[in-house]
Order: sequence, then C-alpha cells, then structure tokens
Amino acid sequence: MPDVPKNVAASASAISLPLSRRGRADEERELVRMAQSGAESAFEELVRRHQHRVFGLVNSILRRREDVEDVAQQVFLKAFVSIKRFDLRAAFSTWLYKITVNECWDYLRKKKVRPLTYESDMSDEQVSRLDGIVSADRPPEQADDRAEVKEMLEWMLERLPEQDRELLVLKEIEGFSVQELSEILGLNVNTVKVRLFRARAKLMDTYRRRVAASGHSTGQSGG
Amino acid sequence: MEPKNTLPSETCSEYEALLEDYLAGDLAGPQANRVAEHLKSCAGCRDAFDSAAASTRFLRRSAPLLERAADPGPGFVRLVMAQIRAQREHQNIGQPVAAFAWRFAMSASLALALLIAYASQQGGQTNSDLAQLRSGDLFPDPATPATQGDVLRMVADTNHGK
Repeated sequence: MPDVPKNVAASASAISLPLSRRGRADEERELVRMAQSGAESAFEELVRRHQHRVFGLVNSILRRREDVEDVAQQVFLKAFVSIKRFDLRAAFSTWLYKITVNECWDYLRKKKVRPLTYESDMSDEQVSRLDGIVSADRPPEQADDRAEVKEMLEWMLERLPEQDRELLVLKEIEGFSVQELSEILGLNVNTVKVRLFRARAKLMDTYRRRVAASGHSTGQSGG
Repeated sequence: MEPKNTLPSETCSEYEALLEDYLAGDLAGPQANRVAEHLKSCAGCRDAFDSAAASTRFLRRSAPLLERAADPGPGFVRLVMAQIRAQREHQNIGQPVAAFAWRFAMSASLALALLIAYASQQGGQTNSDLAQLRSGDLFPDPATPATQGDVLRMVADTNHGK
C-alpha cells in the first residue's frame, strides 16, 4: 500500500511552513491522487485538514451538536468509498463539502426532523434593549448583551425560510465564497447572489417588523 | 411606526445579483456607477439594499457569538481511520465468502441446468417409446390386414371362404 512521501506529510502537518495557495492546492491534489490509489495515510491527512470545516458546516446546517460528530464521520466514510470517482480537475474541498451538505439533508430526512428550532419569542422589553445593540457599530462588550444579541440573531435566522437561512449561514458564518456555494449547492453563481441578497434583506425585515410590533422604532439607517 | 415593507420582491430583478456584488464591494467603474444611479432612483431597491447592508453588518458583528461546532480534535481522525480500516477488513473477510457463495451458486445452477437437460432428453425418449407402444408395430390391430396375403389368411382362419 503506498504511503505519503515524507515531503508531503511533513509539509502537510500543522506546523508546516506557509505554503502558497497554489502550492497547497498541488499538494492536496497529490494527497488525493495517493488516496485514490489506496494510501490510507494520505486520506488521513485529508481528514485532518478538512475536519474543522466539515464539523462547522454540519453544525451550521443541523444545529444539533450531539449529531455533528456522527454525521461528520459518515461524510468522511462516504468520501473514502467514492474518492476513486473524484475528478482531480475539481477542488477536493468543494467535492467534500458537497458530500457534507447532502449528508446533512439525508440525515434530516431519515430522522424526519427539521434543523433545531428556537421557538421562544423575545419580550418587547428585550427587543427595545436590543435595538440599540443591534444598531451599534461594534459587538456588545457586556456578557449579558452578548447573550441577548446571540439570542436575537438565532431568533432572526430561525424566521427565515430554510434555504435562505442555510445560504446566509454558509456565507456569513462559515465563510464560503459565492463561487464555492454555487459549486456546493449546485446553483448558478447569479442565483446564489440573488438568493443571498434576498436573504439578507429578509433578515433585517424580520427584525424591523419585530421591533415595530414592540412599539419601538429601529435605529437602523440606510446602507 | 410600521416600517416600509422591504421585501426583495420590490427590487428590480435585473439588479439583484449586482446589488449583492455592490454590497460586497466587488463592483467597480461603470457597473458600480450604474448600480449607484439605480439606487438613487429606485426606492424599492434602495430599501432592500439598506436592509441587506444592515443585516450584513449585524451578522458580521454577531456571528462570532454563535455557538461553534465542538473541536473535532485528533481523536476524530483516529476514529474515522479506524472505521475505514474496519470497513476494509469486513470487506476482506466478506470477499472470500462472497466469492465462494458465487462459485457455489454458479456450480449449482450449472448442475441444475444439466439435470433439466438430461431429464428433458430422457422424457423425450420415454414419450417416443410410449408413442411406439401405442403404434401398430407393437400391437398390430388384428382387424386391420396389412397385405393381401393377410386378408386371405384371415378369411381362411374364419372359415368364411369355405
């Protein structure tokens, strides 16, 4: 069984010297090629490199921390089984994240559950207090305020349609680019942009409506 | 005061993808100017853009507060690799059994096919034997003379010719 050459393994380690993006891509392609020929150590290195992002992605979609590890394991097992079919011209990460998204949806379908929901509503008092915090330019410093802003964000995201929420979370929280999202979700780049823009607008609209319902005016101003 | 409905349906569809680019700061030159001009003249797009921009600022400020996934740690890699090895071993154990099962099934099918062919051949022969048994060669009908001599002999036997 082929093994990872020392130069690849060494440079792949967490303490490796900074590599250029291209160099890293070439190195990853080499690891994938070796994994395709059956090198377990090469696949192990790929797992090591991508586990954090896969965990984050699964967590963002499922919002069930207790299930994240199980689903992430399934993702890597599936990737190992089908790595021989992977086209080396594509980016391994995008392929892996596509498997991740599909695995999350399979999981939710099999379990017949929706992603975890935050059912609790906020009191008018909370909303009025948050209005100033949400409109501020800097993140809140007080622990209580931080907890409330987090609660507000979860509340707002929860009220978005599932697809909008997923897209916004992947873009703004998980840091995927529009191009990556287009490849992972199998959507046209322009469609991703339009959906993202709509999701952003809807998010603030939800918030403003909630503030308006509590009888306060929002401190939000234009663009 | 009830805020204006800034649902994106009020935006001009041809500008939506550009508005996302504009928001991300990815537009420059004439395209950026075109979007800026449009925002000045279109209240629907302007409201949607203001909402989208406010959302983006809020998300970027508050996203770090969200609960992140637990750190997988080195144990996770070991766990995944152990599962992969277990799966491979299972396949390695299963493969000879599966190969034997296939060989056995193939042999059994072949034997069965031969048996059926033999039986059908034997069956055909038996049928033809039965056909022969039914034919006049084995049990010639005494009432049916085969030749002129037989007729004369029959006549002589029955004394009708006296």
